[in-house]
Amino acid sequence: MVWVIVVVVALVLLVGVAVYLFNRVVRLRNEVDTGWSNIDVQLKRRNDLIPNLVETVKGYAAHERGVFEEVTNARSAVARAQSPAEAGAADSLLGQALGRLFAVAEAYPDLKASQNFLELQAELTDTEDKIAAARRYYNATVLAYNTAIQTFPALLFAGPLGFRAREFFDAPEGEREPVAVSFAT
Amino acid sequence: MTLQEQIRANRLRSALVVVLFVVLVVVVAAASYAFVGQAGAVGILAFGLAYGLFAWRNGGRMVGSLTHATPLEKKDDPELYRLVENVAIAAGLPATPPVYLVDDPAPNAFAAGVRPESVYVGVTSGLRRLMPARELEAVLAHEISHIRNRDVRLMTLAAVLVGVVAMISDLAFRMTFFAGRGRDRNPLQLLSALVALILAPLAAVLLQMALSRRREYLADASAAAILNDPEAMALALRRLQLDPREVAYADRATAHLFIESPTRAVRGIGGALGGLFMTHPPLEDRIRALEEAGGFRLPPLEATA
Repeated sequence: MVWVIVVVVALVLLVGVAVYLFNRVVRLRNEVDTGWSNIDVQLKRRNDLIPNLVETVKGYAAHERGVFEEVTNARSAVARAQSPAEAGAADSLLGQALGRLFAVAEAYPDLKASQNFLELQAELTDTEDKIAAARRYYNATVLAYNTAIQTFPALLFAGPLGFRAREFFDAPEGEREPVAVSFAT
Repeated sequence: MTLQEQIRANRLRSALVVVLFVVLVVVVAAASYAFVGQAGAVGILAFGLAYGLFAWRNGGRMVGSLTHATPLEKKDDPELYRLVENVAIAAGLPATPPVYLVDDPAPNAFAAGVRPESVYVGVTSGLRRLMPARELEAVLAHEISHIRNRDVRLMTLAAVLVGVVAMISDLAFRMTFFAGRGRDRNPLQLLSALVALILAPLAAVLLQMALSRRREYLADASAAAILNDPEAMALALRRLQLDPREVAYADRATAHLFIESPTRAVRGIGGALGGLFMTHPPLEDRIRALEEAGGFRLPPLEATA
């Protein structure tokens, strides 16, 4: 009789712990998904801005065709990207292309003075900042999720149940990876 | 302690605050029974609970009017709004909280609101003027951490419910004057009722103190993690430390909502006894905690002063 009770209690405890661990991993994975959709929103917003920007610059500097093509290609590469790592790589190429576009714009005082151009430039800067912010959040959630499924108790079931490690959205060089912060209280 | 644990603990403490509030209201009503009779006691009980419910529904707005904060439109200050948006995204909040401006030269900031949809960030005009963007962002990240950690609901509830307890015990006192001396009760009973009436608001204030101190360190650490820049947070705190001005419309009830103590009275300069009534840890300690976590050193205070 005593043995039965001990076994039942042990089983209940085991199931309880398993349920807790499973729910925790699911919650962390959902946070990663939310984090990614935050980045996606900002990437789309920027991709919507770029055609306008290119048209505006074209109006003043139609013969700088090479730069326009580069920006347009990089933009569609970002839109086509299938994974966070791919999107990250395409994103840094687009950043470089936009840098060249603004360098070209420097040579046209009329363009630089145009209200439309200034507004687009401010919008774009704002979006870049928001992508950077969303990337910080996303990478932090990925770090928490990956650590959870690669460390001991969850490690036992994460693989068989199909929890796969997620990719980071790569930061441009010079920016630090997120660090795990725990609070001693 | 992970963020989820902190959120869960805050949920539990919020429930505790509400329970304790109900207990205190019942204590005040029961104590006043000795002076004002049954009808008066029931009246006080009903008024206290109804006002508490109202405070729960409108906590954010009540704090807003206590501190004279007014909503700020995005077009009034696009730069500030952008910073708030960016920090909210980096913190993973589902939506950007609205920004309120307190017209006051003292640099300070707070967050308030009971329900998630009514939470907002308040900034004094002094803070807006004084802080460079990097440090302003750190202050906003500190406030947004309070929102994300669900500190804000707990702190707002504490602020408004403490006010309600103080108010109804004050009301009970006044009613005893009109009701005349307690009919045929013995003096011991009257005395204990009097003591209960005095102690109830005091207990409420002590509860409020105990709530706020440790979570300031936590919000500093969260802000540093959100921005990946502990130095900015430390620099912002140093700048607050160097400015001696006080926020005009802040008192004991709302002090613990701010990023640093808004009034000297609660800064606790009065030595050991002051420590008991401090709502915030000393800025020096908070800066030191950030320095240790981030592995940097700010120049000593004398050099920058």
